[in-house]
Amino acid sequence: MKALYVFGNEHLQEDAMARKVAELLRGKVNIVHCRSPDDLLEADESVITILDVVKGAEKVMVITDVSRLKTGNMMSLHDFDLGFFLNLMQQLGQGKTIKIIGIPAEGNPERIAKEVERWL
Amino acid sequence: MPTITLNHITKIEGHAKLTLGIEENKVTVCQLGATEGARYFEGIVVGRRYNEANELTSRICGICSCAHVIAAITAIENAIGFTPSEQTIKLRELLTLAERIRSHATHLYFLALPDYLGYESAIAMAPKYKKELQRALNMMKVGNHMIKTLAARDLHPVSAAVGGWLKLPSQDDMDAMGKALDGIKKDAEDTCKLFFSLKYPDFQTEGLFFSLKSEKEYAMLSGNFCSGDRCHAPEQYMNHIAEFHQEYSNANYATEDGKRFFVGAIARLNNNSKFLSLNAQKMLKLSKIKLPSQNPFHNTHAQAVELVHSIDHALEICKTLKIKDEKIPQIPIKAGRGVGAIEVPRGTLWHEYVVDEHGVITKANIITPTAQNLYNAQEDIRCFIPGIVHKTKEQIILDVEKLIRSYDPCFSCSAHFLEVEWV
Repeated sequence: MKALYVFGNEHLQEDAMARKVAELLRGKVNIVHCRSPDDLLEADESVITILDVVKGAEKVMVITDVSRLKTGNMMSLHDFDLGFFLNLMQQLGQGKTIKIIGIPAEGNPERIAKEVERWL
Repeated sequence: MPTITLNHITKIEGHAKLTLGIEENKVTVCQLGATEGARYFEGIVVGRRYNEANELTSRICGICSCAHVIAAITAIENAIGFTPSEQTIKLRELLTLAERIRSHATHLYFLALPDYLGYESAIAMAPKYKKELQRALNMMKVGNHMIKTLAARDLHPVSAAVGGWLKLPSQDDMDAMGKALDGIKKDAEDTCKLFFSLKYPDFQTEGLFFSLKSEKEYAMLSGNFCSGDRCHAPEQYMNHIAEFHQEYSNANYATEDGKRFFVGAIARLNNNSKFLSLNAQKMLKLSKIKLPSQNPFHNTHAQAVELVHSIDHALEICKTLKIKDEKIPQIPIKAGRGVGAIEVPRGTLWHEYVVDEHGVITKANIITPTAQNLYNAQEDIRCFIPGIVHKTKEQIILDVEKLIRSYDPCFSCSAHFLEVEWV
């Protein structure tokens, strides 16, 4: 079964949607809840599919060009965030394709889950 | 030269601020402080059950959460008078080594190396240094995987508990970890060769180099707190380590019997090098560092040597430990005070708890490596500046940042709650 790497914090209203949507997709994909970008080090797939909330997004979108992700300078290991990590993976040319399914922070989880399913 | 204020020192853990005043080639102001907010962790654990301290204090830091878990458990077990089994201790060692592998690999390649190769960040380095960065990721991956296997999560582990392990790894898990460790031995040795080839400033700190020291091993979870032959038993730490505050910092500063001191990998090497693994000893010889070293920049070399040692030590545990099905026993609670002093990636970490007869924590004190190093780092900067004062302002800033980063500080963890006496 295809793996879906899910980022987000269920305790923060603005960051919880990916976790809610993932629960609705359980059984259709292998849900891997990620606590930090390092978790992607263990991703073996040639196409890594990520589900995460995109700030300001009003509808589901798919991002494959990770250079579009904002990355600041890495000031500390606490800045080792998803954007930094994905950019690093791309720079290292690990031969993996990154597909980020970006979803809005708010909305109806069932409706968003149906849209996400189309992109899996 | 005007005052230099670095509001955010880059590529360190958390946020720190340095204010430097230089007049006629002399340092008039030198204030290094943490600008992180107070964390209140010692207050949070007071009133909680003895077996909650490890889970709560692991939240002090996402980078060294395993370290806080093991230090808290050690202190609590000492407080209630519980002696863990040999298997429990070996698995705690393995978890601590896994975190050290992950942390050192990350610090060396992502925070220190860009400085020495003249890049702003690891991403900027990546087109030219793919092989090196891939090496770091290999080691981080193994460290992460081991932490997940042993402690159920790679951050804020949950399996390690007071009295033992809530879930034990299988013998197959041990074999798999051993195989993974075997696969990164060359990465660690290549790391040593790379970092030994870089040019480091020739600078001597006046601070003492303290770490745990043991008569039988490269001390990690037990031993006395020593600088050479000057040793203190961990439970006596408060008679020697004094914490104090400065108005410009949210983090505490510390002295040992009134003197400034350094904790971290180079202090451990100074005190324990004869117990390094054979491979690590070979690497140390290759480094041409003369021990004891007084140069804080050598902390980077020491972390590279420790990578080799940590992999060898972890491998030995994976190969020799036969997992027995041990359950956490019923622990009779008695009131007491306990100290946990362990060696974590950035130096000695202290946890102290007082537990009452009901198993409730009534007092807590935590001193992180960065809090211990902060005063020495500040005074090192004061001594370091005269030797580089002829350089441009940008070069001075870079050199000073390199010095601070050689300490591998974590300001997120060191921000302490200041004690206030209400009148």
